[in-house]
Amino acid sequence: MIILFVVLPLIVAGLLPLVGKVSRRVLPDLLANATLLFLLVYAAVAGRALIAGGPILQQSAWLGEAVNLRLALDGFSLLMLVAVSLVGLAAGLFSIDYMEHYGAKANYYALYLVMVAGMNGLVLATDLFSVYVFLEVAAIASYALVAYGLGPDELEAAFKYLMLSVVASAFLLAAIAVVFGMTGSLEFAAVAAALKELNAGAVIGIASACFLLGFGLKAALVPFHAWLPDAHPSAPAPISAVLSGLLIKVSGVYAMTRIFLNVFGLTPALSTVLMVLGAVSMVVAAFLALGQKDMKRMLAYSSISQVGLVVLGIGIGTPLGIAGGLFHLFNHALAKGLLFLTSGSVQQATGTRDLDAMGGLAKRMPVTAATNLVGALSIAGVPPLNGFWSKLIIIVALVQAGHPVFAVVAVLASVLTLWYYLLIQRKAFFGKLNEKWAAVKEAPFWMTVATVLLALLCVGIGILFSSTVTTWIQPAADVLADGIHAVTGSWGF
Amino acid sequence: MVLQTALLIGLVIFSVLAILLKDLLKSAISLAAASLLLGIIFFRMNAPYAGVFEISVVAGLITVLFILTIALTGAGHDVRESKLVNWAFPLVFVAFIVIDALVMKSLLGKVPALPSGTEAGAFGDVLWKGRTLDLVGQIAVILAGVFAVLALFRKRDKHD
Repeated sequence: MIILFVVLPLIVAGLLPLVGKVSRRVLPDLLANATLLFLLVYAAVAGRALIAGGPILQQSAWLGEAVNLRLALDGFSLLMLVAVSLVGLAAGLFSIDYMEHYGAKANYYALYLVMVAGMNGLVLATDLFSVYVFLEVAAIASYALVAYGLGPDELEAAFKYLMLSVVASAFLLAAIAVVFGMTGSLEFAAVAAALKELNAGAVIGIASACFLLGFGLKAALVPFHAWLPDAHPSAPAPISAVLSGLLIKVSGVYAMTRIFLNVFGLTPALSTVLMVLGAVSMVVAAFLALGQKDMKRMLAYSSISQVGLVVLGIGIGTPLGIAGGLFHLFNHALAKGLLFLTSGSVQQATGTRDLDAMGGLAKRMPVTAATNLVGALSIAGVPPLNGFWSKLIIIVALVQAGHPVFAVVAVLASVLTLWYYLLIQRKAFFGKLNEKWAAVKEAPFWMTVATVLLALLCVGIGILFSSTVTTWIQPAADVLADGIHAVTGSWGF
Repeated sequence: MVLQTALLIGLVIFSVLAILLKDLLKSAISLAAASLLLGIIFFRMNAPYAGVFEISVVAGLITVLFILTIALTGAGHDVRESKLVNWAFPLVFVAFIVIDALVMKSLLGKVPALPSGTEAGAFGDVLWKGRTLDLVGQIAVILAGVFAVLALFRKRDKHD
């Protein structure tokens, strides 16, 4: 019943506003987080058993008649489902205390669950148009969530995000129309099989370019990143965590790699384009992050930079490169989720995001400071944390595939990353305690639980990285490394 | 062919007017006219259902909503826009037309004719049986829209 990943959050989302009439806080908190916990347990515990015998495809019946509710679960989609449920649950727990002062919590959770359902649907979809539909589901919910604070900044950021997303959608629709025109089908398996037969390089090139523009905008790769540094800092902290940790990866990186590697097949030209785009994003965004004074804005630029590294890794196209890219995608989801949540704790305690106004907060908020440090060191790639291993795999893969220049660029970008994260530590948490913050207290219980959970995962995966790679990352990388055979071979109904 | 070309030119003109006109009411009506022409083009290209939806929803319902909103908000002050838009849009538009004329003809020649695949069939069958997952997505989009309106127009009592 993998359709539960889509339908359950939708049903609960539909019920939440009604539940909110009865209980304004406790029931919505409980119901939303129980749903997210259930999805996490289902994905993490039952998921591997489900795909043990190869990818599973599900075609549901409705009132005894077969309908086209086709979903597919393989190693790659399972990895994404686990990431979505894990970071989704952490952000959900964080929201219990954090969203208290925003009001209308039931409505907030409803939007949040619709966004989760959209991401899950996108990950399980087997056809190009369904990918587009669920991309829009997640996007529409996220516009409202970015604007949830209703301040002028939030509304402006949401509007900018909406406008650039619409451009992305237009390009995606155009690409899907071109592919449908060529192949007469929208299903991954049929499209991949038909494209192999067709000799239409130029038209595939046009479709690829449109997909690249669309998904590049969604993933916020440089030069399509203009919306992200506004949208992600303006959103409430748990939403920033989900947008940066998950949404740009699901609707940008996942959809792009699924289509390019499993449907179109990665050509050397496409591989080069992906690697160059990834490297440019990684370096440019790292320099831009260095100059930021707003803590969340710095984290937002860091997301662009790290997504660049993920795309660079996957773009290599070798099994090791893909595994490194996916591992970094997963690690970055955890660590960046953690960092945005801790920045939310800081913002709630001090009322500011300005790094220059902070200072010495570690004395007042030791748990928040410690968890933030774990996240920062993880993304910067300091051993033995999880981010170190994924960066190492990508760099080894780059050298192995004969791209030493890209490898050097990746190492230098890591140094820049460490630099700006140390800036955050020094300005916000260490040094002399700013007099203004003498009365600041540690974050409330559930906010601390959420950050500690993610920090423990960062450390745990770092120590147990080899079993994590073999259990979760390798099956996902195998699917992508298999190219179009992954869908043409076993996805036919 | 002449009629088709005239319809397409009309579509482009009304679409451009919808963007360039300063008066919101005229802009909304231009959009409706463009959508009406697009609906007719759909009919002529053997896509009657797409034509019906285009005319009834986009030209009809959405225009009513636009005009209603404009009427409710009343004639306020002119919106101040950046001067950039005034010359950047026509420039981009002309460049687009030139590229379109140069590239599209040879490109479209290379697209193989659409084979009638398994997804062809009666409209109802395609919608309800062929694209059921998209209907689930459609429900999710509507939910997202409703919750978004509820969230964005809620009373701002506690949050400053």
